[in-house]
Amino acid sequence: MQSKWDIGEPEKRTINSETEQLKSELLTLNMGPQHPATHGVLRIEIWTDSEIVAHAIPHLGYLHRCMEKHAENLDYRGVIPFVDRLDYLAAMNMEWTYVQAVEQMLGTEVPRRAELLRILTGELQRIASHLMAFGTYALDLGAFTPFLYAFETREKILRLFEEVSGARLLYNYIWVGGLWNDWTDEQLERVGQFCDFMEEEAKKYNELVSYNKIFIERTANVGVFSLQDCLDYGATGPVLRGSGMKWDLRKNKPYSLYSEFDFDVPVGDGEHGQAGDCWNRYMVRMKEVVQSVKIIRQVLEKLEPGPIMGKVPKIIKLPKGEVYVRQECPRGELAFHLVSEGDAKQPYRLKVKSPCFTHVSMLPRVAPGQMIADFVATVGSIDIVLGEVDR
Amino acid sequence: MSTNVHQTGSVKDYFLDLYNGIRTSFVGMWITFKYVWSAKHVSIEYPEVREVLPERSRMRLFNDAQNCISCTQCAMACPVDCIYIASEKYPEGHEVQKTSNGQPIRLKLTQFVIDTSLCCYCGLCTTVCPTECLTHSHDYEFSQYTIDSMKYDYLAPDVVAWRDRIVKS
Repeated sequence: MQSKWDIGEPEKRTINSETEQLKSELLTLNMGPQHPATHGVLRIEIWTDSEIVAHAIPHLGYLHRCMEKHAENLDYRGVIPFVDRLDYLAAMNMEWTYVQAVEQMLGTEVPRRAELLRILTGELQRIASHLMAFGTYALDLGAFTPFLYAFETREKILRLFEEVSGARLLYNYIWVGGLWNDWTDEQLERVGQFCDFMEEEAKKYNELVSYNKIFIERTANVGVFSLQDCLDYGATGPVLRGSGMKWDLRKNKPYSLYSEFDFDVPVGDGEHGQAGDCWNRYMVRMKEVVQSVKIIRQVLEKLEPGPIMGKVPKIIKLPKGEVYVRQECPRGELAFHLVSEGDAKQPYRLKVKSPCFTHVSMLPRVAPGQMIADFVATVGSIDIVLGEVDR
Repeated sequence: MSTNVHQTGSVKDYFLDLYNGIRTSFVGMWITFKYVWSAKHVSIEYPEVREVLPERSRMRLFNDAQNCISCTQCAMACPVDCIYIASEKYPEGHEVQKTSNGQPIRLKLTQFVIDTSLCCYCGLCTTVCPTECLTHSHDYEFSQYTIDSMKYDYLAPDVVAWRDRIVKS
């Protein structure tokens, strides 16, 4: 009588041929939608061959909020709260870019103090955003302490913003023609103190994480974006600079009052690893923090009392035409293409060119051949915010 | 396959790597160890200790209905359309009253409801208010069990009772 466990003669078993078949199959693995390495909800479908990634396919749309269509039904001031929600970690820069687009079409002159304060808030926001990138990147790679340090420092900036604008994350602070509120002298003094504090902190973070041998081993020579790839895909910001190209809109096409300021553009120089790898991309951000502190110091020297709001009509109606405005945001070049039909309170079309979208599209390019753990490091190093990708 | 191929170097490189790994780890651990003495409390124990919010904090909206002139400017400025206002004309011979900053109240406010679940706290409605009756309060603890109870009627009879608690001094 045949037992249930009897699988026959050894030479008749088919297990060996089956395992050979299994070996040639790729395993599909879902990274996300909820994954700690992605700031937001991004699902990456990974096809793995044992622990090597064969393909990576990003699936977008989990945070899609119809922002572009929604903007067509709002007046020009009402778009600003929606623009905030694009990149919720750097909302000031988003507002600034949009507001600059409207101002260019309206022909508004912004007072000097307002422009300087915009640079101040923009650079503070850049520091806050890079601190978040630093903390969460260390968290992705398994270090929990830097995350807490970064948040403690970031909290100081958010507290300043909360006192000035009234909100911690989604400010609606930069308005068409100027700013909502003015900074008091006491707050500006605290910004000066924060600059001293931040320089010390940046040194500490570099000692703690950047030059740590284990961190370097995890990130150097991992996820290399070659410069040609970056140019082909249209990468901008720290990703492009990390690959070795010195391109910063604040320096190359100065907008606002940036031409008056003296600062360097850090690029990935291959101090460890090679240009374009995760370590260099990460290091560009840490160096940019120091440069932002330098800019803020110069703003504090230049600030003089004055008006913070230019002359803007009560109901904004833009003339017929279109404008394309781009700015250097913490994650890259953000641009708005604003089309106006003329004599309407709403924009006809508001197209957002988001830097993170291009960076996500580069992931399938670098993923093949990486280990899964290295792929996590790569996703973390491009510092994407999904609110901006999906819009 | 992997891009992170470890370079096989000499024995000296091997021990140098080992030394650097241990040294940089101890540098980092020394930084964290210093927090044993110099750490300050940065977090607060929330329900017992409450943070004093800054002056301009934008929390829940509050409308002082006695000063409202039903101009509906807030409802038009709102980007998410969460303010519902209705008003009617006063009967003939009604004595026109004035708000605290001297604006005549020509219409009788019959409904002023804000759906707080829709509100995005952008503050655009408070900036256009001509009598400054619509303000952001500092009240941030108003979670509810049902979404309907997030609609706040500022003409409700008990509004006076929580007015003192909510209105910014």
